[in-house]
Amino acid sequence: MAEGYRGPLEKVGPYQWLVPQDYKPGMRVPGLIYASEELIDQIRRDQAPEQVANVATLPGIQKASLAMPDIHWGYGFPIGGVAAMDPEEGGVISPGGVGYDINCGVRLVRTDLTVDDVKDRVRELVDLLFRRIPTGVGRTGKYSFPKKELRKLVVEGPRCLVEDYGLGIPRDIEFTEAQGRLEGAEPDFVSDRAFDRGEEQCGTLGSGNHFLEVQVCSEIHDEEAARVMGLFEGQVCIMIHSGSRGFGYQVCEDYLMKLRTVPEKYGIQLPDRQLACAPVNSPEGRQYIGAMRAAANFAWCNRQLLMQQTREVFQEFFGRPWEELGMHLVYDVAHNIAKLEQHRIDGELKTVWVHRKGATRAFPPGHPEIPEAYRAIGQPVLIPGSMGTASWVLVGQPGSMDQTFGTSCHGAGRRMSRRAAVREARGRRIDEELERIGVIARARSRRELPEEQPKAYKDVDLVVEVVHNAGLSKKVARMRPIGVIKG
Amino acid sequence: MCPWETFEHTADIGLRITGRSLDELFATAGQALFALLIENPEEIRPREMVEFQLHAEDHAYLLVDWLHELLYLFDGQHLVFCEFDVRVNERRPVLSAHCRGEPVNWDVHRPGTEVKAITYHNLKLERQGDLWVAEVIVDI
Repeated sequence: MAEGYRGPLEKVGPYQWLVPQDYKPGMRVPGLIYASEELIDQIRRDQAPEQVANVATLPGIQKASLAMPDIHWGYGFPIGGVAAMDPEEGGVISPGGVGYDINCGVRLVRTDLTVDDVKDRVRELVDLLFRRIPTGVGRTGKYSFPKKELRKLVVEGPRCLVEDYGLGIPRDIEFTEAQGRLEGAEPDFVSDRAFDRGEEQCGTLGSGNHFLEVQVCSEIHDEEAARVMGLFEGQVCIMIHSGSRGFGYQVCEDYLMKLRTVPEKYGIQLPDRQLACAPVNSPEGRQYIGAMRAAANFAWCNRQLLMQQTREVFQEFFGRPWEELGMHLVYDVAHNIAKLEQHRIDGELKTVWVHRKGATRAFPPGHPEIPEAYRAIGQPVLIPGSMGTASWVLVGQPGSMDQTFGTSCHGAGRRMSRRAAVREARGRRIDEELERIGVIARARSRRELPEEQPKAYKDVDLVVEVVHNAGLSKKVARMRPIGVIKG
Repeated sequence: MCPWETFEHTADIGLRITGRSLDELFATAGQALFALLIENPEEIRPREMVEFQLHAEDHAYLLVDWLHELLYLFDGQHLVFCEFDVRVNERRPVLSAHCRGEPVNWDVHRPGTEVKAITYHNLKLERQGDLWVAEVIVDI
């Protein structure tokens, strides 16, 4: 385990900790970490604050190199890192600021079912989900998209699945961030290898921290926002956490390789080679952006197909069409992405590339990019907990625009290495323990449950408390898991 | 001394690999990767062969590219390997490889850990006395 961070962290607000700009040579802005006293102690235990400082050296960075309370060590950028770059000031785009799993994200599907409708049959339901929905390493799904079809899919996003294949309904698109389509995806900048890996992986869950969870809405914190989203206490919902699978990993890998020598070419000095980047306005930068957008659109297609398969399973299990079960998409958000957005910086409206790596967009009420139905309450922010612990639904607040380029946290954040988690779990049966607390868990790999056990993560409630109190997003509902399938 | 072992890293796994030559080290790195991906790599049979050449800016990058290549053959071509005959030029960062294995069969090969990528973080490849030693962290 790497040693902890020994540099400065100055408390500058109730939930704000500053890494001063003079901490490290080359920092263009300070670092700013959102955390409580309790969480900052955990955050100091790895080199994540050092990574916040490293990101602050990147050309074109605005205001501050930011980090959310679930920050932990990542490659180049920390997980939970947020940085906005102005192309007019030589701003860069960095694959490390997006992550290997481009557009990893979360989707919440509601139902009209209540906990009483499923409580005696959760095991059977989870077993059926586990049989039908492909999970884990190397598993391919029932869908296969040869290159020609996949090229169209990654340009058009899930709208293409709905219109050309009937896999979903138009309403699904409306409630997906960016309508599931980043304009300007360039399949020509995506390698054949990415297409090979993506061909049979659209509609598969993957492994690691990805999951599909059956949840019960256990607490409502904001009646009006919950009503608008169609959430109520005791309701059964499904949360899906997955990303762009091998397609996205390959895009990231390809561009990290291509960018190895690029910073030098543009005279950019990097404190860590995982921060490899290219100016937004350079051929290399434009190529990565085109490929990254294609991978983001792939991820939205993946989550659309995971949702569609879930609907089919429920339909089979309950013997009623999914429409009758009220299985509608509440919202879908990305938490590993870079997007071109407008933000007011020092009084001036600027168009910047916002990198969110393990961070969720959290636009406040009234923002034009929010679906009309939610415009009065703010954009839903979906925060998955770790396996066996609660997840949260929040909505974006005005504070996010003032402070964090419209961003909130993304999850619990790891606090134990995988090996430490497995060691800690030795001699225990995690599946049986979970069952005792009311969660039926199924995983394909024997390593998966010990590695992802609840103790391996920070307490998601503490993380959510910070973003709520700091005015970045507001609590709407807490979701309790009753069943989960994993890789 | 064990030719390879894993070491801890917050969310991921590090591989520490040793070899008396670069040829041996690269071959061992291939074994280590498939031992992560497949829980019972001893069940992989050498029924098919794939050969390829690679070149990179330096030998450390070459090691990353080698593991990338194997990961792609697994994830994109659904192949698993058990034998690696790798010739690494010690003066120039180029290699040629013959890998033997078979198409993955999930009735036989038990799934291990999904490897998203081979990273550059704290990437190391150096000579220590008579041995070559490498450290590479994989994103899982």
